[in-house]
Amino acid sequence: MANKNKMFFALAAGILYVLFGCMQIVEQFGIKTGLAELLLIPGDIFGGLCLVVIGAVFLYGAKELNSGMNMGVSYVYVGILMSLVFMAVYVLIIGASLLEVYLIQNEDYLEWRIIDDIRPGLYLGFLSLAGYVAWRGRFSLPAAK
Amino acid sequence: MTQNKITIALAGNPNVGKSTLFNAITGAHQHVGNWAGVTVEKKIGTRTYHDTEIEVVDLPGTYSLTAYSVDEIVARDYVVEDKPDVVVQIVDATNLERNLYLTTQLMELGSRLVIALNMWDVAESRGDKIDTTKMEEFLEIPVVKTIGNKGEGIDGLLDEVLREAGKGAHHEHEVSYGNEIESKIIELERILVNDDALSARYPLRWLAIKLLDGDENILEKIKVSPMATQIDNVLNTIDREDCEASMADKRYEAINTVLPQVCERCVKEVTFSDMIDHVVTNKYLGIPIFLSMMWAAFEVTFTFATPFMGMIDMFFGWLAGVVAENITTIWLGSLLGDGIVAGVGAVMIFLPNIMLLFLMLSLLEDCGYMARAAFIMDKLMYKIGLHGRSFIPLLMGFGCNVPAIMATRTIEDERDRLITILVNPFISCGARLPVYILLAGAFFGRDAGSVIFGLYMLGIIVAILSAKLIRGTLIKGKPAPFIMELPPYRIPTVKGSAIHMWEKGSLYVKKAGTIILAGVILVWLFSAIPSPGVDAAFASEEILGTGDSLMGALGHVIEPLVAPLGFDWRIAVALVFGFVAKEIVIGSMGVLYGVGKDEDALGDILVAGAMTPLSALGLMVFTLLYVPCIATIGVIKKETGSWKWTLFAAGYTTGLAWIAAFLIYQVGTYVGWGL
Repeated sequence: MANKNKMFFALAAGILYVLFGCMQIVEQFGIKTGLAELLLIPGDIFGGLCLVVIGAVFLYGAKELNSGMNMGVSYVYVGILMSLVFMAVYVLIIGASLLEVYLIQNEDYLEWRIIDDIRPGLYLGFLSLAGYVAWRGRFSLPAAK
Repeated sequence: MTQNKITIALAGNPNVGKSTLFNAITGAHQHVGNWAGVTVEKKIGTRTYHDTEIEVVDLPGTYSLTAYSVDEIVARDYVVEDKPDVVVQIVDATNLERNLYLTTQLMELGSRLVIALNMWDVAESRGDKIDTTKMEEFLEIPVVKTIGNKGEGIDGLLDEVLREAGKGAHHEHEVSYGNEIESKIIELERILVNDDALSARYPLRWLAIKLLDGDENILEKIKVSPMATQIDNVLNTIDREDCEASMADKRYEAINTVLPQVCERCVKEVTFSDMIDHVVTNKYLGIPIFLSMMWAAFEVTFTFATPFMGMIDMFFGWLAGVVAENITTIWLGSLLGDGIVAGVGAVMIFLPNIMLLFLMLSLLEDCGYMARAAFIMDKLMYKIGLHGRSFIPLLMGFGCNVPAIMATRTIEDERDRLITILVNPFISCGARLPVYILLAGAFFGRDAGSVIFGLYMLGIIVAILSAKLIRGTLIKGKPAPFIMELPPYRIPTVKGSAIHMWEKGSLYVKKAGTIILAGVILVWLFSAIPSPGVDAAFASEEILGTGDSLMGALGHVIEPLVAPLGFDWRIAVALVFGFVAKEIVIGSMGVLYGVGKDEDALGDILVAGAMTPLSALGLMVFTLLYVPCIATIGVIKKETGSWKWTLFAAGYTTGLAWIAAFLIYQVGTYVGWGL
């Protein structure tokens, strides 16, 4: 049952990451999805590809768990870790902007708002954070027999 | 029944105490030579035991018997062709799982096996309880406990060897590879039986297994077989990589079935390390995950460092003001302000980026991920003609190419080593990062992180393609494979990573105070001296950094060489001085574009019209690829011992850089990009 929950989680997270990653790539090519403003999606090829990779890890995990393979849990675990790493990267970017505004008082940042630096990699990370908190210590596999 | 004379072969993984056991059995009665046709050491010794003269042949240490290396071919050819009466496999009792992998392969060869369970005292002292009786029952192989360095268990081992040698019919053991692979094995056996030469020499099942395993040595032998076409037809129906992986899995499955029953504590729990490894070494996801992690590292390096760069910029701006206000002697004020502050300041501003990049790389290394990166890249490296071990020196090249090239000493094969040395300069060292940060930041704004990541990837791609080119033309041959053990993951400590960061990053500060300082003073001096025929005072405003200076004259001479790349004489001069140290490219530009007497930062001056995004991209690519710094050239000469290869490295890199920058600028201009 626990693995079933993880499978659905991985499926949902995988679809979201792949979707948002694709939208970031598409936006970079100037194709307007109409969702960029609403969902704070920037045009960013490499950043988008990274989200697609995270999504692929989750989806691979969902596929393995669906086939009854316990090792699929590893993909959920690594997917969560990767998304938390990327979440941390975007938190650092916000930190850097805050330093520009309040410490350096950079003129280019006079009109900066925190929302300017919010990225899908940041808010999708909360989903992974929830997964991590919920299953922390329960990511384990039976010993090989 | 005892025999008067028998031959036994000692087989085993490297570092399991094989030589110690060999010495314990044979004492002083041994001689050392080479195996026929190869430079692999061959040791033979003799021992008379219970009226039987035992010839003991020490085989090279190997992890498997698939022909990945000369050692493995030598070991298995001896077992197959010379047919020793008994093969004694020395098994490290502290690492049963890995050692039993070789056992499964020796079993497939149809050898009469005796296992010497060596170092069992160490295994027991850590709590492993190995039931040798059960082990014998499951494997159907005699197992004798030995302690080679104390000479314990030797007599028991020799008793078992004599007993095994005297046995009549021999029961061969098999690992079951599952229905799909087993049907292919049977299909191949039916074909192979028609090849008299091969079937007389090798066990048929073993031959079929090796063919499905993708064993290149056996595949070569099959090429001259009359059954080659039929065999190829069967092999073409399978995905060889998948088949090889599934067969290895099946062997481990067999081992893991036996292991829990013969040893209480040898069964490895599936740890977090195993879980992470299962994913990051995945055939399809491994490399994309690696690239994602590297992108994250570069994104942090660029974005988080920006405010700290601003602080350093403010400091040097303040220092330039102090110099301008307090130094009244024109030439001294110019030397300090336009030369040292502008030049060294232009370099020091990137210290936060350098430190952050090294911190990111240290974190990835300290947590154990970099070893996995080497592991997932190994296969690719092998395909492009590089040795698996080449990846570590290449990774080190991200820091500095000098120690990276020195690290190639770990590669035993001279040709593998030479190729690794020659392509190492394409791996972008930390000294080139300031050029990218300046230009990418100025011309590509928020995409700067991605542009820099792209440059690093370009360096890797050029290194890979160059290796393939060199391997296919100048240095032909196949790289030797390597086996690497993966350390468990660890949470890196702040102190440890900070120390590693400082060890590498402090070199940058040291360079700024020595070579770069000297370089920018030299650039300033040349740009302060009027060129012949120009009537102006030394270090005057009319001369400094202009085309009328000695530097300007020199720059105009070489400008035609770089004009097709969209570079002016200042950049030409900066690139020439960059040969001393890459950071001087930026330092020189700082002096030549007059950062010291201007409030604008160098990037602003360049964006204002000195360069276009296209020429900036060309300059970044040129800096990435052109001749490495003088220290790197020196170490290439030292490590290759050849001027020919050193000059080749200098010429090849610069030629390639010129072509790449030319294509970027000319093609980009033609299609109207970035103008």
